[in-house]
Amino acid sequence: MTTPMVEARGISKSFGTVQVLSGVDLTVERGQVACLIGPSGSGKSTFLRCINHLEKHDAGELRVDGSLVGYRQSGNKLYELNERQICAERSQIGMVFQRFNLFPHLTALENITIAPQRVLGKKGPETIRRAQELLERVGLSDKAASYPSQLSGGQQQRVAIARALAMDPKLMLFDEPTSALDPELVGEVLDVMRDLAKSGMTMVVVTHEMGFAREVADVAYFLDEGVVQEWGNPREMLVSPRTQRLAGFLSKVL
Amino acid sequence: MALVAVAAAMLINTLLSKVPTGLEECHQVLVNGHSHQVCASTMRWRFFWDVVGNYIFDASIFRGLWLTLELTVFAMAIGITLGVITAVMRMSPNRIVSSSAWLFTWFFRGTPVYVQILFWFNIAFLYPTIQFGLPFGPHFLTVNVLTLFTGFVAALTALGLNEGAYMSEIVRAGFKAVDEGQIEAAQALGMTRLQTMWRITLPQAMRVIIPPTGNELISMLKTSSLASAIAVTELLKSTSNIASRTFQTMQLLIVASLWYLTVTTVLSIGQFYVERHFAKGSSRSMPPTPLQRIKQDLRRMGFGNREVRS
Repeated sequence: MTTPMVEARGISKSFGTVQVLSGVDLTVERGQVACLIGPSGSGKSTFLRCINHLEKHDAGELRVDGSLVGYRQSGNKLYELNERQICAERSQIGMVFQRFNLFPHLTALENITIAPQRVLGKKGPETIRRAQELLERVGLSDKAASYPSQLSGGQQQRVAIARALAMDPKLMLFDEPTSALDPELVGEVLDVMRDLAKSGMTMVVVTHEMGFAREVADVAYFLDEGVVQEWGNPREMLVSPRTQRLAGFLSKVL
Repeated sequence: MALVAVAAAMLINTLLSKVPTGLEECHQVLVNGHSHQVCASTMRWRFFWDVVGNYIFDASIFRGLWLTLELTVFAMAIGITLGVITAVMRMSPNRIVSSSAWLFTWFFRGTPVYVQILFWFNIAFLYPTIQFGLPFGPHFLTVNVLTLFTGFVAALTALGLNEGAYMSEIVRAGFKAVDEGQIEAAQALGMTRLQTMWRITLPQAMRVIIPPTGNELISMLKTSSLASAIAVTELLKSTSNIASRTFQTMQLLIVASLWYLTVTTVLSIGQFYVERHFAKGSSRSMPPTPLQRIKQDLRRMGFGNREVRS
């Protein structure tokens, strides 16, 4: 069996006195789509941000593609990676945010080309060609010259997905990608994500879209109070929950 | 509205008024075959416009104006550079780096710029020479501080360092105004802290940084007149040199003021276009140019075509 793309063992994290994660175990295989669901404050976004080291976990072992996130092991000791090494790790993991976080001073095209040029050191024409391909893939080839403020929320989020894909990531993280969207714009973003899943991308998706989880995800994790309460095949789990907590949560969101 | 119009009329009236000089001009007039002497006091512009006109394009004034512009531009360049560097240092996670930046701001913002100008002009009392070389070893280069710190260099150093302290705070406020999500997005793409600052944070911070920096530039233009105290013949000094020769103090102060106003006006217009450039992407449409705005204002004031009110 190959190494899993994401492997978390006993991940804990607290902000001051608030314990947000208390020992999360989770495995995402290559090519799998994993959905993290749970009530707000359950720690799912924090966990997602630990995967690309935007947050440092306090305890536990977190591996992406077999190597530790943010640390280097030497004998029995862990050493924190330096900035350049952390950046190199992050550049292989794409992330899509709830609030899009497109760079407002750059056009859609420039948003997509900046990281390949500055981080990977690729040549301008090459990145532009690739960016145009990606814009076409998310259905926005006519918006290359638009600034984010001139795009709708759904269009912005699709540019944000293209921006992440331009780095050719081996893993994509989605942090509630449709939560800030008007209801009628949710569909266009989910369509892009569905296509991405079909193309074999490994994805970890924090979402409240139960329909998407049921349809696209290979595995679902239900987090509450900082631990995984229940996990499994979403088509079974979301229909007939085993735990009382998940049943209670589902009755509220469905 | 009417009040403003009255005030403007009064202002123009006094600016263009004439007053008696106190000197009399007499001439002979023949009335009924007899010759009479008629005398009248001569008049002059209250604001000495004729004298002002004589001096305003004087070569020595232009030399002074040029020196003022040089002082302003170079001091601002030093100030902005130092401001950006110290602002970045202030936000460093390294305590020593951040506190030395704080110390810089504390010192140069905490003393009057006039004192700093005098201080640098007299720095040779503290350090007559500066020697470059190995400690306890041979010196490669010895600089005579007295000749290095001429009035111009002293003024430039003082104004630049002082400005750096103020710009540091302005730049820092600009950085803080940028959404945290922007930094996260850049980090998630694998950009380093410095790349993120240079490519993502700074361009967005510019929108917040530019307006106060424009104020600082205009303020610097005027503060540079303090250099006249250490015999730098910038604009004010070049006018007062003439005034001390001809005793036309007020006339030459008006000359200086007119030039300061002219340059300030040009700078304000430039500031508008720089702001417009950095507003790109922040709103759906560009702000109107001054010309467009004047047209709008005139229309609002009732000039030009406007819809008729019932």
